[in-house]
Amino acid sequence: MRKKGGWKWSALVAGVVALIVSPLYFIAIGGFMSTEEIFHKPPYLIPPEPTLRYYQEALITLLPYIKNSFIIAFGTLMLTLLIALPAPFVLTKFEFSSKNSLSFLFAFVQMLPYTAVIIPLFLIFTRMKLINSHFGVILALSVFLVPFAIIILRSYMVSVPSGLIEAALIDGAGYLKIFTSIVLPLSAPGIASVSILVFLMAWGNFIVPLAFIKEESLRPISIGLYVFIGQYGVEWNKLMAGSMIYTIPPLVVALLAGKSIVAGLTAGAFKE
Amino acid sequence: MKMPKVSLFLFLLPSLALICAFGIYPIVYNAFLSLKDVNLISYIRGTAQNVGLTNYREVLDDPLFWKALFNTVTFTLLSIVLQMSIGFLLALLFYREFPLKGLFQALVMIPWVMPIMVSGSFFRWFLSDNGFLNNFLTALGWIKEPIRWITTEKMAIYSLTAVNVWLGIPFNFILLYTGIQQIPEELYESADIDGAASWHKVMYITLPMLKPVIVATFILGCILTFKVFDLVWIVTKGGPGGASHLLSTLSYSLAFDRFQFGKSTAVLVLMQIIVVLFISLSNRIRWEER
Repeated sequence: MRKKGGWKWSALVAGVVALIVSPLYFIAIGGFMSTEEIFHKPPYLIPPEPTLRYYQEALITLLPYIKNSFIIAFGTLMLTLLIALPAPFVLTKFEFSSKNSLSFLFAFVQMLPYTAVIIPLFLIFTRMKLINSHFGVILALSVFLVPFAIIILRSYMVSVPSGLIEAALIDGAGYLKIFTSIVLPLSAPGIASVSILVFLMAWGNFIVPLAFIKEESLRPISIGLYVFIGQYGVEWNKLMAGSMIYTIPPLVVALLAGKSIVAGLTAGAFKE
Repeated sequence: MKMPKVSLFLFLLPSLALICAFGIYPIVYNAFLSLKDVNLISYIRGTAQNVGLTNYREVLDDPLFWKALFNTVTFTLLSIVLQMSIGFLLALLFYREFPLKGLFQALVMIPWVMPIMVSGSFFRWFLSDNGFLNNFLTALGWIKEPIRWITTEKMAIYSLTAVNVWLGIPFNFILLYTGIQQIPEELYESADIDGAASWHKVMYITLPMLKPVIVATFILGCILTFKVFDLVWIVTKGGPGGASHLLSTLSYSLAFDRFQFGKSTAVLVLMQIIVVLFISLSNRIRWEER
């Protein structure tokens, strides 16, 4: 039997957790304060005269960037799933000679530093006219997220009973049919988990749009927040309000689907 | 099971095509570019000259490269050791059953969930000379003069490491917590019968049983931390005076601030070599573990 902690233990954990999540609290209240109040000595722990003004102004400024972020995040999610889904099916359920080297290839690409791929890709994309295009960003993000998705999905698809697939083969079903009507539905929890992770990573990614999008109107919010970091100073209150707005979608996802995130991350980490 | 070669190929084609064209080709291309005198204009016009190993010689002669290499190693190792220790202590805290456990567990994930631009900007404010931390410590009377956390050459990389430790808590916690839950509870029960103290149970049951998970988390953590770019770029941009550059930010700055793609790709090739060396070394460690 595991030890029961009771409310005293909860209070202890609450203290530790509060310390970990405190940055989010200070960002949230920063958006309600003037820049002078943000830098006040001693620092305010509660906004003295809270105002919604900066949140409103930040939201209006950021709307076009938020739209771009949604386009990039959903586009990346669609492209990544489309490309990644078929691979783990054959990698887990069938025997072939180059299987191990393929698994190594996927793991290897996932381990590469972003910069090692982004910088040459910038030159390649310059020739292909994919700089300043959402599709270019989506494509580059997929390069990293497809191996990530394959590695996680493998640990889900491996548990699809091989007997089911063999029976369907004897009944004369084609591989594509088996894949779409047996394997995909049975891996639904894994696909859900991967979708959430891919969305969060595409939503939060910074370096790819930083390198590939120079055109202000195409920028996602990750680098769009730089509008509040001017040459002569930072509008900290709007930057914090904007940061909070940017964090809300992933925060909601994490609170609603925390279990899927954890399941996906552990599946990806410990899969050999 | 066996699948006909053609079907097999069709199922693998999408991912292989993408990864070869936009993942493997670029890193091979790095090696090619690193031997040329490439800047943006010479690249577009196709007039970049072969310069042999000049880029590598310049990189290896540049104190900034050695500084960045030192920073990358320090940043990675310090981050991992601290993240894993904190993640492990948290995992022990969460091992018991207590009210609101699910909610707290979801909240611990927040540093991982927050977009890096948000956490990076926050810490840029939090650690600035007149930022929250200095104002707070002054108010408590612990310091008289503000500490220049991210604006001195000596401190910047360590402050960034501290921030990265915070960023890595969720990931390390989740992996170690999952591992701890898989340790059979009977082991603790028999220790209880023998009247073992709590820390004895941690030392002689939890840690040894967790060893494979700890090794896996360590290796994965090293690979993930070696990749870090955005945190440093957002908080210090490698400054002051290049003192907090990692190899990743140095290569990016060479490419996009100075347009020295040749030199930048030489740094990237050296980074790739380090990754490959590390992976083969870690495979060996894992293999010996078994």
